[in-house]
Amino acid sequence: MSHVKPHRWADALAGRIEPDEHAAMTTHAAGCARCTAARDRIAAGTGAMQSIKKDAPPDLGWDSIRARVHWDVSSARRSKPKIAEPGARRWLWLGAGGLAATTAAVASVIAFGGWHPFGGGGDAGGSPAPVASAAPASAVQPAASAAPAALVGVISRFSGEVMIDGIRRPDTFDHAVGPGALLATGDGRVDVQFGDASGLSLGPRSRLELRRFDAQSVELAVDGTVDVEVAPRSAGQRFVVVAGTQTIEVRGTQFRVRRDATGTHVACRHGLVAVRDASGEVSVGAAKEVDVRAGAAVHDARVAAMTQAELAELATATPVTTPAWSPAGGAATVELALEADAPRAVRVDGVELGDAPMRVRVTPGRHLVEARVVEAGGAGRFKRVEWVTVTADHPASVRVELAPPVPPPASAAADRRAQLLAGIDRARLERCVAPIARTGITDLYVQIEIGVDAAGSVSFLNLLDAGDLDAATASCVHDALAEVRFPAGGAASWHERISL
Amino acid sequence: MLQRVKRDTTGSVAALTPADEADLIERCRAHERAAHDELYHRFRRQVAGNLYRVLGDRGDLDDLVQEVFVIAFRGLERFRGDARLSTWLYRICVNVALGRIRTRKRKPPPIGVVDLDSAAIDPSLTDRPETPERSLERQRDRARVYAALETLAPKKRIVLYLHEIEGLDLKEIAYLVDSNPVTVRTRLFYARREFYDALVKQP
Repeated sequence: MSHVKPHRWADALAGRIEPDEHAAMTTHAAGCARCTAARDRIAAGTGAMQSIKKDAPPDLGWDSIRARVHWDVSSARRSKPKIAEPGARRWLWLGAGGLAATTAAVASVIAFGGWHPFGGGGDAGGSPAPVASAAPASAVQPAASAAPAALVGVISRFSGEVMIDGIRRPDTFDHAVGPGALLATGDGRVDVQFGDASGLSLGPRSRLELRRFDAQSVELAVDGTVDVEVAPRSAGQRFVVVAGTQTIEVRGTQFRVRRDATGTHVACRHGLVAVRDASGEVSVGAAKEVDVRAGAAVHDARVAAMTQAELAELATATPVTTPAWSPAGGAATVELALEADAPRAVRVDGVELGDAPMRVRVTPGRHLVEARVVEAGGAGRFKRVEWVTVTADHPASVRVELAPPVPPPASAAADRRAQLLAGIDRARLERCVAPIARTGITDLYVQIEIGVDAAGSVSFLNLLDAGDLDAATASCVHDALAEVRFPAGGAASWHERISL
Repeated sequence: MLQRVKRDTTGSVAALTPADEADLIERCRAHERAAHDELYHRFRRQVAGNLYRVLGDRGDLDDLVQEVFVIAFRGLERFRGDARLSTWLYRICVNVALGRIRTRKRKPPPIGVVDLDSAAIDPSLTDRPETPERSLERQRDRARVYAALETLAPKKRIVLYLHEIEGLDLKEIAYLVDSNPVTVRTRLFYARREFYDALVKQP
């Protein structure tokens, strides 16, 4: 009997071999010092691996780590008054000159009754009080006599053409928005975070006016599509959407309102919204949607379940919010610019953000940037571009454009490819992988990169991916492929996946 | 409201029932800070342990744990619930560890004070007295295991670790490494050969 392979000793220790073979191995080891040493080493290693499995982690700076992922908001912040004191924040009152021009906006989003941008304790009890259907937004006024504190919206993501107050600002990302601001998008989109875990995302070719934007009331006029995510409200807080003659009352939830000439579309990803008008009310729960055609009554509308694709699309449109939100924006977050020459889907830390180029706010730290690589059939998957480290005083920029390899002239490459496939000595390849095939593994392949010059000489041949072939088999396969002969013709280089 | 995390008398966190887990996920998705805290406290040691064992040293462990939780919190919206939360976190750990293995310079992990410390808290060692010689030999065995692991390509190293040390089956490994069982089987086939060859050749 030849020497026992080390992994077979591991199999023997694990009881994965037949008794006859085990006996033969033991007999052989009794007269073979090398195999005895190997068996003892494997046994010791197996014991060590059992020990490793029981290893407890060392103590780390748990609190420090928690702080670094920005999820430990201090109790002091949570205990702050729900409505900020006047002057306690940076107020940003923008000019109201653009208000008159947008009074014909077809949808509005209103929050009142003490709603605040920091979310609440997830109050789940009780039904919201009825809301007067089709109540004009301007009729909803806070009871307090003092002027409510204005909110500040921080641009958390934007891409493509975005205008603020009718101007394409060079400092769009750094420009905070407040009451009276008018946002408009071309082919791009813009996200605004206006509270902890609260934000909105204005879709392409849409317009949004912040008619009211303070701690007591938010009134947005939307023409186009807006996705809103609102943190769970506290007890007594209410959040109402008014879209034309319909009102939509929501709690902490994520939903979409799309209003155009055909009517109003409301889709709810999670939470619950109630759509009302003078004719009645329908409830739209999680993963449900409703279409109210222009001029139609709500009670005629049917609530339908959303498809998985629709839900996925709604999830993708989730407004970007940073966990360490601050009205000052830049104080707790950092700009990350994702550059690309052509639109390319990107995701950061596993969250799909849409097409780069874009700029997005992130928390300081390390972030994984990935870009979608489109494959045959239109499908694609994300591949890592790089880990990027951003610090509070050092915004980062990542180029996600992955230059595609320059293809050779199609005719030459096609000809050379055909010559390669025809010239491969299949019998030789089979001999190379025969030892592996005997183990039952059949899905073997190699990915090669090959270049052939005009004279027919192979200028280079590299195994880019040998699958899981061992080095000897890969070398054998390489040598077999290198034996392919090419006639004179066009020069070409290409990648080829060859099944073995 | 901040909820107290249930702990048993050993200081470890009590396991979640599927219903509790679904509730925790839902509350995290609703951006309840208390839920985020609970998730972090429940799984931080598991995450750190996974990373520590697969990498073999505690260098940058703080950063890696941070990465795992950042990815988890931001990706929770897209967690489909097709696996237990702990398994999903394990998958993130595997990916983060894989990235770490790929980027760091290949070198044997430092074996010394840290491992001796960890050995001191190994419950199996408190059951019976151990001679200094035996303790030293055991540390050498562990060092050889990690040195042999270092000789493997990152993907092979991960599947071998998950199979031989963690004892997971092909289907479980396939989920964790985002692959299919056939590929994992092939990878494991070569990884085991290379690993045990390297283990035998360790000085």
